[in-house]
Amino acid sequence: MTEEYERTLAAVHELMAARSNGSQVSVTRPNPDTLHFIVERKAMRSVADGLFNQLQARFLISVGTDKRPLSGTFGILHVFSFDRAQLYVLVESLIPEDDPRIDSITPVAPGADWAEREFQDAVGVRPEGHPDPRRLLLPDEWPEGVHPLRRDFPYNFQPPPAKNLRPVMRDAPAGATVLPMGPFFPVLEEPAYWRLFVEGETIVGCDNRLFYNHRGIEKLGDSALTYGEIPFLAERICGICGFIHSTCYCQAVEKAAGIEAPRRARYIRTIMLELERIHSHLLWLGIAGHIIGFETVLMQTWRIREPVMWLCEAISGNRKAYGMNTVGGLRRDLPSDIHPQLLKTLADVEKEVIAVRDAILGDSILRARTEGVGVLTKESARSVCVVGPPARASGVAIDARIDHPYAAYDEVRPRIVTQEAGDTWARVVVRVGELVESIRLVREALSAIPEGPICAETKEEIPPDKVGVSVVEAPRGEAVHFVMTGGDNRPYRWRVRAPTYANLQALPAAVMHGTIADVPITLGSLDPCFSCTERLETVDRRTRTVRTYSSAELLEMSRGKGPSGGVR
Amino acid sequence: MTHELAKALLPCLLNVAIALLLSPLYEGILRKVRAAIHSRIGPPITQPYWDLLKLLGKEDLRSAGGAAYASLPPLTLGSLLLLATLTPMGAAAPLSFAGDMIVVLYVAAMSAVLIMLCGFASGSPYAYVGSSREMMMALSVEPILAIALTVGAFKAGSLALGSMTAFQAHNGPSISMAIAGFAFFLALQAQAGKLPFDIAEADQEIMGGPLVEQSGPRLAFLKWAMWTKQLVLAFLLVEVFLPWPRFGALPIDLLISSIKALVVLLLVAVVDVVNPRLRIDQAMGYFMRVGLASLSALAFAVIGK
Repeated sequence: MTEEYERTLAAVHELMAARSNGSQVSVTRPNPDTLHFIVERKAMRSVADGLFNQLQARFLISVGTDKRPLSGTFGILHVFSFDRAQLYVLVESLIPEDDPRIDSITPVAPGADWAEREFQDAVGVRPEGHPDPRRLLLPDEWPEGVHPLRRDFPYNFQPPPAKNLRPVMRDAPAGATVLPMGPFFPVLEEPAYWRLFVEGETIVGCDNRLFYNHRGIEKLGDSALTYGEIPFLAERICGICGFIHSTCYCQAVEKAAGIEAPRRARYIRTIMLELERIHSHLLWLGIAGHIIGFETVLMQTWRIREPVMWLCEAISGNRKAYGMNTVGGLRRDLPSDIHPQLLKTLADVEKEVIAVRDAILGDSILRARTEGVGVLTKESARSVCVVGPPARASGVAIDARIDHPYAAYDEVRPRIVTQEAGDTWARVVVRVGELVESIRLVREALSAIPEGPICAETKEEIPPDKVGVSVVEAPRGEAVHFVMTGGDNRPYRWRVRAPTYANLQALPAAVMHGTIADVPITLGSLDPCFSCTERLETVDRRTRTVRTYSSAELLEMSRGKGPSGGVR
Repeated sequence: MTHELAKALLPCLLNVAIALLLSPLYEGILRKVRAAIHSRIGPPITQPYWDLLKLLGKEDLRSAGGAAYASLPPLTLGSLLLLATLTPMGAAAPLSFAGDMIVVLYVAAMSAVLIMLCGFASGSPYAYVGSSREMMMALSVEPILAIALTVGAFKAGSLALGSMTAFQAHNGPSISMAIAGFAFFLALQAQAGKLPFDIAEADQEIMGGPLVEQSGPRLAFLKWAMWTKQLVLAFLLVEVFLPWPRFGALPIDLLISSIKALVVLLLVAVVDVVNPRLRIDQAMGYFMRVGLASLSALAFAVIGK
C-alpha cells in the first residue's frame, strides 16, 4: 500500500472523528481499498461536507437499501472515492422505518443531486433540504408512497394506469420562451425531454425530465436472478458498453466474496474492454459529426468501426453482448487462432483512425463549431462529479484504469489524455487521443497475455452481508457497481451507476448562455448512451414460421436486387 | 394574335419545363455523389421523382389553419418558376426586358421570404427559429448576388441579363467577372440551402426549421421549389459569368448550359459533403467578409479589368 494511501486513511479517520461528533456507530474495512463507516444521520451532511470539500474526495453514488428484514431500518449509503490513494469511503446511516428522512448532502456535494432523488423514489427516504426534490425515475403516473426497491414490493407489480399526467416542470424565466427538445428529437437516440429557455437564440436556462426507459434492472438483480445470471442482464444495461457493465458487476461480487480472477481472464477482460472503447469512440465520432451536419464523418467512422465489430464476433460469437463474463473470470477463452486476425484488424483500423484524427484535428470549420462551445469549467466538472472524457477535457485527470486499477491495468498502464479548455473541442481531442491509445493497449495486452485458467474455482457459496465496490472506465466515463451480498444466491442490493448518469447532470451548466445551435453538439459531446440492434426477424402470421434474414440477404434487399425489393 | 401569344409563351413554357423536370434529376445525381463520398451506394438517380410522386399523393395534414399556411408552398414553387422564366437558359430569357436584373433579384428574394412565411404560419417554435435564421441568411446573402450582378451590369453597360451574357460571351473572361462569379458561387451554396449554410433547416438542431410542420403535397411543393432554386441559380451563374462557348443554336447552347450548371451543382455538393454546419453568427460574419471582398470586383470593373 502506498504512502498516499496511509496518509489518506489517517486523514479520513481524523475527519470522521471530528465531524461525526461522537455519533459514529462503527467502522469496518470490508476490503483493503474500502472503508465502511456507519454514522448517525444527523452527522451525515457534515461528514459529506468534510470528505467532499475538505479532503477533496469525489462523490460516486448513493445507495438506498431496504434493510428492514435485517435490522428494521433503511440504509442510506454514500460512496466517495479518493482517486490518488485508491480508496473508497462508504458512509452509511441507518434510517428508522417510522421516520424515513435524512439530511440531503446535495447542498454540500452538488453531484449527489440525482442520486438522492433516486433513493427518495426507490426506497422512500426523503432527503431533507434537497434543492430540487422532484421525481427522478418513477413515471409521472406512479402512485405516491409506492417504492419499488423496498423488499415487500414484488418485481412484477404493475400500478394501475393513470391518464393525462404531466411531469412537474419549472417555469421559464420572465421574457424567455420555451423550446422543447424531446422526448423524441432527431439527435436524441433515446427519449429524454429537455426544455430549453431561450431568448432569441440564447439559452438562459433549461429543465429536464428523463428516465422514460427505466427498466428496473436493479430490482430484478435482487429479486429474480442469481449471481450467475446477472452478468447477462448487466451486459444489456447498455447497447454499446455491455462488457463494461458485466465486468464491473463481476468484479464487485468477486471483491465482496474474496474471489480472485485468474491473470489470463483479467488480460482478456482488458482486451475486450479496450475493443469496446475503440468501437464506442468511433461510433461517437460519427454521431458527433452527424449532429453538426458532417455526415461524411458519420459514414466513414462507422465504416472503419465495422471490422472491430466483426472482430468481437469472431472472438465471442456476437457483435455485442458477448456473454463472456462470469463471477470469478470468464466463460470463454480467446479463440486460439485469433491473434493474426486481431493484429491485422488493429493495424488496418489504426491506419484509418490516424487519417481520420488528422483530418478532424485539421478541420478549421469543425474547430470553429466546437471551440468555446459548451464549456464546463474545472470547478463545475468537479462539483457535479463529471467522469470520463468530459472530466479529462476539463482538466480533471481521473481515469478508473489508473485510479483504481482492475483487470490487467496494473500491468498494461494506459496513458491518459487531458485538456484544460473544457469545451466541446477539448472533448473531441481527448476522445480521438484515447482511440489511438486503446489500440496500443490491446496490442500490449495481447503480447503480455499469460497462459492459464480463465475462471477461478469457487467451491463455497458467496457469504451474505459483504460489500464490494467496483469501477470500470467505460468509453463514456467511469461505471460504478456496488454489491451487497445476500443469502439466496443473489445480491441483497446491486447498485449500478452508468457514466452518463453523472455526465448528463453537467448539461445545464454546459449549455448556459450558449445558443440553440450549440445544444445538440454539447449534449452529444457528453456522449449520452445509445442502443442499437442489428438483425431482423420476421414472423409469418399465417404459418407462424420465423424467418431470420442474414446480413447478406438484408444487404441484397436494401440494395434493390433482392426478391422483395426488385430493381428500381 | 394567337400566333403572337404562342410565340411569347413557348419559351416561357420551355424554361418552366426545364426547371420542373430537370431539377429532380439533378438532385438525384447530387445524392449519388454524396453517397459516393460517404462510401455508400445511395438511392437510384430517379429517387427524387418518386419522392415527389409519393408526397403529392399523400393526405394533406395541417398543423395550422389559415389560407396563408395552405397556399404558401405552391406560391413558393410558383415564384421560382417565375424566376426560371427570367433566367437565360441557352438563349435570352423568355421574359427579358431592359432592367430585368433588378426583377431577378427581387424574385430570388421573394422565394426566401415565402419559405420564411411558411415557417411563421405553421405555428411551431422550431419553424419560428428556422424562419428567423432564414431571414438573417437572406439579409446577408442577397447583397452578394446584387453586387455580383451589378459588376456584370457595369461591364455590359446595361441592366438586362441578356446584354450581360452577350457582352461576357463576346469579350471573354476578366478579373472583375471572375471575382464576381466566385462570390456568386459562394452565395449559391447558401441559397441552395447546402452545408455549411443549411442553418435555417438544420435537421439536428431545429428539425427542418420552416419545413418542420410541412407534409404531403405541401412538402412536395417546397422540396421541388428548393431543387428548382438551386438549378435556376446555377443556370444564372453559368449564363452570366461563364457563357462560353456560344453557338447561337438553342438546343446545343441549352445542352452545354445544362452540363455547366450540373458541374457547378456538383461542386456545391462536394463542398456540402466535406463541411460541418456553421452557426448562424459565424455564417453571417463569413458572408459579411465575402460581400466586402466582392466589392473589389466592382473596383476592378471601374478600372476596366
